[in-house]
Amino acid sequence: MDIAGIPILTFLVFFPLVGILFLLFMPSGNGKLIKWAANIITALELVFSLFLLSGFNRTVDGMQFVERASWIKSLDIQYLVGIDGISLLLILLATLLTFLATLSSWSAVKDRLKEYYIFMLLLEVGMIGVFVSLDFILFYVFWELMLVPMYFLIGIWGGERKLYAAIKFFLYTLFGSVMMLVAILVIYSHYGTFDLMKIMAQGNLLPMAIQSWVFLAFFLGFAIKVPMFPFHTWLPDAHVEAPTAGSVLLAGILLKMGTYGFVRFSLPLFPDACKKYMPYVIILALISIVYGALVSLMQKDMKKLIAYSSVSHMGFVMLGIFAFTPTALKGAILQMINHGISTGALFLIVGIVYERRHTRLIAEFGGLSSRMPIYAAVFLIITMSSIGLPGLNGFIGEFMILMGTFAVNPVWAMIAALGIILGAGYMLWLYQRVMFGKLENPANEKLSDLNLRELATFIPLIILAFWIGIMPKPFLDVLDKPVEKIVKIINPTYYDKPPLEIKKDGTPVHGGNAGSHETPAEAHTGEVK
Amino acid sequence: MLTGYGAILFYFILVVAFAIFALGLSHFVGKRTSSREKLMPYECGVDPVGTARVKFSVKFYLIAMLFIVFDIESVFLYAFATVFKELGMLGLIEIGIFIAVLVVGLAYAWGKGALEWE
Amino acid sequence: MITAILPEIALTVAALLILMVDIWLKKKVIIGYLALVGIAATLVLVLQSLAVEGYSFSQMIVNDNFGFFFQVLFLVAAFITVLLSMHYFRDNTQILGEYYSLLLFAVLGMIFMVKATDLVMVFIGIETLSLSVYILSGCLREDRRSGEAALKYILLGAFSTAFLLFGIALIFGVTGTTNLNAVAAAIAGKNILLDPMLLLAMVMLLVGIGFKISLVPFHMWTPDVYEGAPTPVTAFMSVGVKAAALAVFLRVFLMALPLLNPTWRHLLVGISVLTMTVGNIIAISQDNIKRMLAYSSIAHAGYLLIGMIAGGETGISSMLYYLVVYTFMNLGAFAVVIAFGNKGEDNLAISDYAGLGSRFPALAFVMTLFMLSLAGIPPLSGFMGKFYIFSAAVKEGYIGLAVIGVINSLISVYYYLRVTVMMYMKKPEREIIVAPVQPGLLLTLVITAFLTLQIGLFPSFYLELARASLF
Repeated sequence: MDIAGIPILTFLVFFPLVGILFLLFMPSGNGKLIKWAANIITALELVFSLFLLSGFNRTVDGMQFVERASWIKSLDIQYLVGIDGISLLLILLATLLTFLATLSSWSAVKDRLKEYYIFMLLLEVGMIGVFVSLDFILFYVFWELMLVPMYFLIGIWGGERKLYAAIKFFLYTLFGSVMMLVAILVIYSHYGTFDLMKIMAQGNLLPMAIQSWVFLAFFLGFAIKVPMFPFHTWLPDAHVEAPTAGSVLLAGILLKMGTYGFVRFSLPLFPDACKKYMPYVIILALISIVYGALVSLMQKDMKKLIAYSSVSHMGFVMLGIFAFTPTALKGAILQMINHGISTGALFLIVGIVYERRHTRLIAEFGGLSSRMPIYAAVFLIITMSSIGLPGLNGFIGEFMILMGTFAVNPVWAMIAALGIILGAGYMLWLYQRVMFGKLENPANEKLSDLNLRELATFIPLIILAFWIGIMPKPFLDVLDKPVEKIVKIINPTYYDKPPLEIKKDGTPVHGGNAGSHETPAEAHTGEVK
Repeated sequence: MLTGYGAILFYFILVVAFAIFALGLSHFVGKRTSSREKLMPYECGVDPVGTARVKFSVKFYLIAMLFIVFDIESVFLYAFATVFKELGMLGLIEIGIFIAVLVVGLAYAWGKGALEWE
Repeated sequence: MITAILPEIALTVAALLILMVDIWLKKKVIIGYLALVGIAATLVLVLQSLAVEGYSFSQMIVNDNFGFFFQVLFLVAAFITVLLSMHYFRDNTQILGEYYSLLLFAVLGMIFMVKATDLVMVFIGIETLSLSVYILSGCLREDRRSGEAALKYILLGAFSTAFLLFGIALIFGVTGTTNLNAVAAAIAGKNILLDPMLLLAMVMLLVGIGFKISLVPFHMWTPDVYEGAPTPVTAFMSVGVKAAALAVFLRVFLMALPLLNPTWRHLLVGISVLTMTVGNIIAISQDNIKRMLAYSSIAHAGYLLIGMIAGGETGISSMLYYLVVYTFMNLGAFAVVIAFGNKGEDNLAISDYAGLGSRFPALAFVMTLFMLSLAGIPPLSGFMGKFYIFSAAVKEGYIGLAVIGVINSLISVYYYLRVTVMMYMKKPEREIIVAPVQPGLLLTLVITAFLTLQIGLFPSFYLELARASLF
């Protein structure tokens, strides 16, 4: 489907490449020109991605904006792209965060500007490519393609241990990816095609033995990316050593690709294996939530704290995905977006003080709110968003996940709620130690508050945080159809259960309305909006 | 009766046995005396001068190599000569090409000075 | 009859002409151009040779698509090698005549190897190639490592040739013929599949040819010879000799011994796993970039064997495609090594590459391209080649082998990326002098870098070509 005759998805994927060519021919000495060009390119990409909204139809079941071309005929590999509600939200998040990350690098990056922005744009190509690909090999190509620019971003512009972090990130993630490749080949040998739409339309599943192995291989690839405990050890190093913009994109988008992979591939294609391994995955998710939160409490480095908090938050998302209910799944996907917004903003916040003081140790700060009031306000809003305060985005996602999980197993929900409490703990403690109290360190006396550009990087995120928190309906509506489709495959009996009706005298009775799929709770929140 | 390879095996054993017999006989039966003069290396009756290692001129090696190449060429020419009649004109041309290639080699060796002695 | 071997004749004439011209010519650079012209003329004749399909010279030589594919590959590789040599030997022109004529004779040997359908012809081709390359690897007379490389190569090569010859003799003893097709027919007819002499012959052939492909455990010569030989010769050896040996391997084992397939398949699985693993693991500890590339080429031979184990149309065509991909990315990597080598054997330690990303950004960029392609990162051609081979393996049911293959790919990423780490992420420690890049070398770099990208992004043409080149 095209918009004004242009295949919009292909355009979105390859426009950053045009941007790269543009940047290549710029003189390396003129830093200002390069910075302006890079920012304009990413801003344009953001604007173009908004066009997707105009053509998107939220009542249609199935992929939209589908573009199909034959790429490698002899191997049955197509250039097949398309989006549904899930990918739509993630693409918009990707373009927004890339623009904000580019904007935030204005004064942070001093040398080799051209290469820096070229790698950022290359990263954007990979990110958007992953979210739109519907052909397995095309997906894999973009998935691996993303590793290279991130490796260079960490390795060249990173912190002290950048080399170690970069190669660890690369090899660890690649390990999962290559397992995924073998699994993709097994899928091909069974179905005879790499076309995801065709495989899903076929309906027949892999035999259980093969499905188990393939699920496990995909699980490895995605779980390393999420990251789930115990595959998370690359994350603290990569996040801490990466430059600010790199961390924003790493936490904001790259982590989502793991969970996106589960939602897009594992759940619809390997439902039996998913159900078989669900208890183990949930256990790992719960461990991630609690362990991530506990370790965050102990961190002395701000970035590491936020990195471990990502482990905890993504554990929440995994919990929501593997609860196999529409509420939980919608909550999980929404929480992906929320996490991108709040953690992206958190890394930007750390970047602000790091640029000024070149340290991230919490002990070095304290009492900053007296010198940087606007910064304090922004920091507070983002902290609340991360914790999940009602009124902000985090609450909606976490609440929906907990609700969906509670319906399946209350104990899990209770353990997960523990994670929320711990989350409030470390975030508020962090805020208190950094912003409140007496300004003791003399180096902090002269700190300047946010300038206009820096404030501009936060405003879209704050707006989104409030928007999703107060009125999440537009965001949740686009997820209706895709989530319904997935839950129908993974948990068919869910829609067969008639919903509860409450009679006039207060006693619940199972009604006969088998067609409706709104849980009473969801209908309730729907009325509130 | 031993046939074919059996005969060769027998001959081989015979040869080895004879060698062992000859050497063994001289070892066990012969007198053995050693003196300082007897154990010195032989150099026409005088005391040895200098080391036993002599710098061997590499030119000999070069000449030997060239000899081998052209000797084998002539061996092939002999082989060709025996079936000269059957091979006819085509054979003549083929052997001409063979000789031509070797002439190129000779010209190369000549031009590069491999045939000079000094 | 003559029309069947026109390319070989052209090549021989060119080589002899170079020898002759070398005696009188003072300006040695022209010899390089003569070599280029000779290779180009041969290439033209090869392209026309498709019209003369079929067997000739009493069934000893065949002109088919398989031979055509490899001949074009060899000639292109030789062309690029000559371009590289012209840069490398610009100041060192003593031995140019011998060097180029030997190079052309080596290509001649490779062409004979690939066209051969008789074991004796195979042997002739292998020997022509081997002797030329023995001398080529030792042609830097002042460099001790070059002499050591040549000596090791000759001794081990002669030893393995003896194995090969013994295998050929045993095959002759069992089947009464050396023609590949007749051997297959004889094995089928006499029903001697389990004859120990035949199995021994097969193993001997495997050893003899495996030496040339640098399979483990016959690989011990590779690092020393690759390190000691002049870098253009190393480049040529790593792509040309390996491809030729693999072509012969395919011909002999698929044309003559197809019925022994179940037996040699098992052997090859073990050898392939060993080769990949040993190559990749030892490469991690290398300091010298030529040795690292030598071990990497050993590992790539392991990946190629997976294609042979898979067999069938997909398996063999995946090998052919991978060889094309491998030729260009390896030649490109060595071209960069030559560019940094300062017209000689300088700056060969990997730590010498520190900081080159800022001094020579274009060179560092193409080196990164080649390293990533060798590691198998999409969307470069190295990934597509590995993908094709692994998909053939999975298709035939060798999933475990594919898993080992991808894990080895992963291990190899570490040492390929180490070069990029040096170039971009470390400061230079000592003053590195690099000679300016000549047009020939520049052309090589551009062509190989472009092809590394193009064959990966748009592989259909090459895949179809590979598929059409089976026999």
